[in-house]
Amino acid sequence: MNSFFALSPLLIIVFASLLVLILEVFLRRENKNYLAYLSLSFLVICGFVCIKFWNKDYSYFDGNLFLDNLSLFFIFILVLATAFVILLSMKYISLQDTNYGEFYALLLLALSGVVIMVSSIDLLVIFLGLEVLSISSYALAGLRIKDEKSSEAAIKYFLLGSFATAFLVYGLALLYGSSGSTNIITIINVFGSETSLSLMALIGLGLVIVSFGFKIAVVPFHMWTPDVYQGAPTPITAFFSVVPKAAGFAILLRIFFPYWKVALNSQAIFWLLWIISALTMVVGNLVALRQTNLKRILAYSSIAHAGYLLVAILAQDNSSLVFYLTVYLFMNIGAFAAVIALSKKGKEYLELEDYAGVGFKYPWIGITFSIFLFSLAGFPPTGGFLAKFYIFVAAVRQGLVPLVIIGVLASLISVFYYLRIIVYMYMREPSQEIEIAVENPSLFLVLFLCLYGVIQLGLFPRNILILINQAVSSLSLL
Amino acid sequence: MNFPILSLITFLPLAGAILLIFIQRGRENILRFLSLGTALITFIFSLILYFSFNAQIPDPQFVEKVEWLGYGINYHIGIDGISLFLVLLTTFLMPIAILSSWTHIQKRVKEYLIFILMLETGIIGIFVSLNLFLFYVFWEAMLIPMYFLIGVWGGRRRIYATLKFVLFTMLGSLLMLVAIFFLYSMYYKATGVYSFNLFDYYKLILNPNIQIWLFLAFALSFAIKIPLFPFHTWLPDAHVEAPTAVSVILAAVLLKMGAYGFLRFALPLFPDAVMKFLPLLAVLSLIGIIYGGLMALIQKDAKSLVAYSSVSHMGLIMLAIFALNFEAMEGAIYQMISHGLSTGALFLIVGILYERSHTRMIKDFGGVSKQMPVFSAFFLICMLSSVGLPGLNGFIGEILCFFGIFKANKLLAILGISTVILAAGYLLWMFQRIMQGPIKNEKIFSFKDINKREICYLVPIVIMMFWMGIYPKPFLRKMDSSVTHLLNRVNKREIYFTEVQKDKNLPVKIEHEMTKEKNEEKEDKSR
Repeated sequence: MNSFFALSPLLIIVFASLLVLILEVFLRRENKNYLAYLSLSFLVICGFVCIKFWNKDYSYFDGNLFLDNLSLFFIFILVLATAFVILLSMKYISLQDTNYGEFYALLLLALSGVVIMVSSIDLLVIFLGLEVLSISSYALAGLRIKDEKSSEAAIKYFLLGSFATAFLVYGLALLYGSSGSTNIITIINVFGSETSLSLMALIGLGLVIVSFGFKIAVVPFHMWTPDVYQGAPTPITAFFSVVPKAAGFAILLRIFFPYWKVALNSQAIFWLLWIISALTMVVGNLVALRQTNLKRILAYSSIAHAGYLLVAILAQDNSSLVFYLTVYLFMNIGAFAAVIALSKKGKEYLELEDYAGVGFKYPWIGITFSIFLFSLAGFPPTGGFLAKFYIFVAAVRQGLVPLVIIGVLASLISVFYYLRIIVYMYMREPSQEIEIAVENPSLFLVLFLCLYGVIQLGLFPRNILILINQAVSSLSLL
Repeated sequence: MNFPILSLITFLPLAGAILLIFIQRGRENILRFLSLGTALITFIFSLILYFSFNAQIPDPQFVEKVEWLGYGINYHIGIDGISLFLVLLTTFLMPIAILSSWTHIQKRVKEYLIFILMLETGIIGIFVSLNLFLFYVFWEAMLIPMYFLIGVWGGRRRIYATLKFVLFTMLGSLLMLVAIFFLYSMYYKATGVYSFNLFDYYKLILNPNIQIWLFLAFALSFAIKIPLFPFHTWLPDAHVEAPTAVSVILAAVLLKMGAYGFLRFALPLFPDAVMKFLPLLAVLSLIGIIYGGLMALIQKDAKSLVAYSSVSHMGLIMLAIFALNFEAMEGAIYQMISHGLSTGALFLIVGILYERSHTRMIKDFGGVSKQMPVFSAFFLICMLSSVGLPGLNGFIGEILCFFGIFKANKLLAILGISTVILAAGYLLWMFQRIMQGPIKNEKIFSFKDINKREICYLVPIVIMMFWMGIYPKPFLRKMDSSVTHLLNRVNKREIYFTEVQKDKNLPVKIEHEMTKEKNEEKEDKSR
């Protein structure tokens, strides 16, 4: 249905962002928390809008922006992730001296870019959204201006990100040249009518994959991830590990859903993705073994998770992909929340050594962090297990047994480094006394909500699965 | 039966664990009594299970089935004559484990008890699951409490031991998971229905070439757990580092999970592959018997001696299972329970010694029986039960095993008998070095004889040892029909095997027509 309503989530977020940017001028630095409340309330409204629009299928701009169930689902979880990140940041930014007004404005702006990305199937519009996301992200990564690491992160992210963008534009041009359109569906249909894919189109598709591969951080386009994750303020790292990744996979879903149906010349692209996926799982997990910095461990773990998600793309199972992303949101943000919890004024505890004895000193942080780590490692009865389970089942059904074996062995490797964090928390005597700022209600709210999400999705995910099935079924309507 | 007694038994410990969370850390005695109470109530309920169990029915009883996640993932539990005794063994040993760690565990009592109770739920869950997904969930979830129990309350090299334990187990179980996926998709291809139900899978007739791979994946997982010979290296580490109660559970119940896995999954699901790998598996078991026994002989640490004796004894159990006949199978199951009791008791004995001396080295002891006469009697009985003295539990199990193995293969039986000889060697020698002779170490003069609490948890075990040794009928008759059924399932396939062979391209077939034929046969007979 053609309606102006299709723009409302986007407009709400952009409006909130601009409002925050203006109000910021009038607020003193200690009172910046009001901006957080303001942003949160707008995000809540946006979430409600998403729920209200379910099954409505609004679209606008000649169908270039639309809200089918899939976009709504993605917008909802992305808004949720951003809300979590804002809750995590409230105390953090004043403790770590990054409480600039731009913080929330940039976060919302990045979110608006993602919203554009997930609610379009025109590659040009997607490119627009991607740029909005990327430019805000570069700024966010470098927000701790007094910290060299943060600036390094911003520059690295910017340089490599620009490369990726250039790849996308180049690929887009080639695709446009070979098919005469930038709309994914049209492109794939044109390809479908030809007997074999021209080299130009193949290169174009490959370049698009490379560019999104950068966004979702798969091997070998992952080099930026650990440095950027380490340098950026921790809540922003949580944001990077979830939001761009989810958006990137939403796009891949939209590209490959019609593509597999056409399945022309799929050998080349299929094996490309197969190799990337296997490499990502193995390299991500192997390198994580050697890390001692929590943020870097989580960075490599998020790379590895992108590998599992690619398995879902190869298995052509959309609902398991979306389910995995949902679970991943809760467990990863939860893990970062626990990392953020262990900080005090001007100091973050990020080395493994710092975690010695934490489990018994701060039992709630210890328990929740352990549960998130078990979930990331894929132990039942957490959501992480079920998510991996659905993906691997789908893959075996598609006959991808070797890839699944690589996947489970890679996740065996991951068990080691996730458990190592728990070893430090519970089984090592502390070498130093660590003190943390305990009073952080918003952070504990996030911990609790993520815990709830991980366990609910692990034990009784049926309602969510029904929603997800509705969401992905809107793919086939296009 | 409408009352969900099996769920109650499974989740009561977990409920107890949740209750413990809300009790203050300092009130350690309340915590201990509460967890002991939970474990005891669970045991009493499981006795109801024993008495209302109908021995005539080979199929699972007390079945509960609730749809859980869809796509064939159901909450489906039940027990038959094989799992009944393993559940009973678990519930019987848990209160004993808690009692044995009453004073032994002084730090972080609350967390310790919570994990012990969680572990109980996990173990019982494994034995009652009839849905492969549910089974796998329990199988993996059980690792988490075990990981903490060894890692936090263990000895000096606990972190190494616990990580080794978890990674070894996961290596096997993840490959098993892939095999389960494969079965799942095969079943879907054959019937168009999603199912993780074990009994649906029993109906599958798989192409032998596929069976080989699936069997290897399952067998690896279980072989690590048992542990079969080349996969046993985690066991001595885990045992030596774990606290006493955890060693008891590990030896008595966790190792049985592997054997149970063979009985429940690997043998009936992949009979053709079993036939193919039978010689290899039997030889590995035999190597385990001899190697475990020889290693036990040279151990300096009493606890690792008992650990290696487990390797040897589990080898015998596996050899009996692979004999694939009625006597051996019953003997194996009987021996599983009896090994649980006697090895569990030996770990308790070593634990009692350790609590007094803070050493486990055999050379530090000598002449202890003069200071601890009552303890000495208990030690003697437990040791003899492990050796297999007639009149005690070990004898019945071993003799049944050997009957069966002898029937299957004489050479294996003759070589396998070395387990008894070796056991007599290393256990009697250990007893002699620890309990008898002059007192060399001055510390021993200060040893007090075992107290009421310790007698309290050793007496039930000793009673069971005598009972199982003198009057095994109530145990054996309850498992008869299930064992017969299982053997039918394994052997029956050979008859249909030829039919599948004719059509080599067919990867999978469902048993449909065959069950029909069988029913007709039955009808014919009844006429």
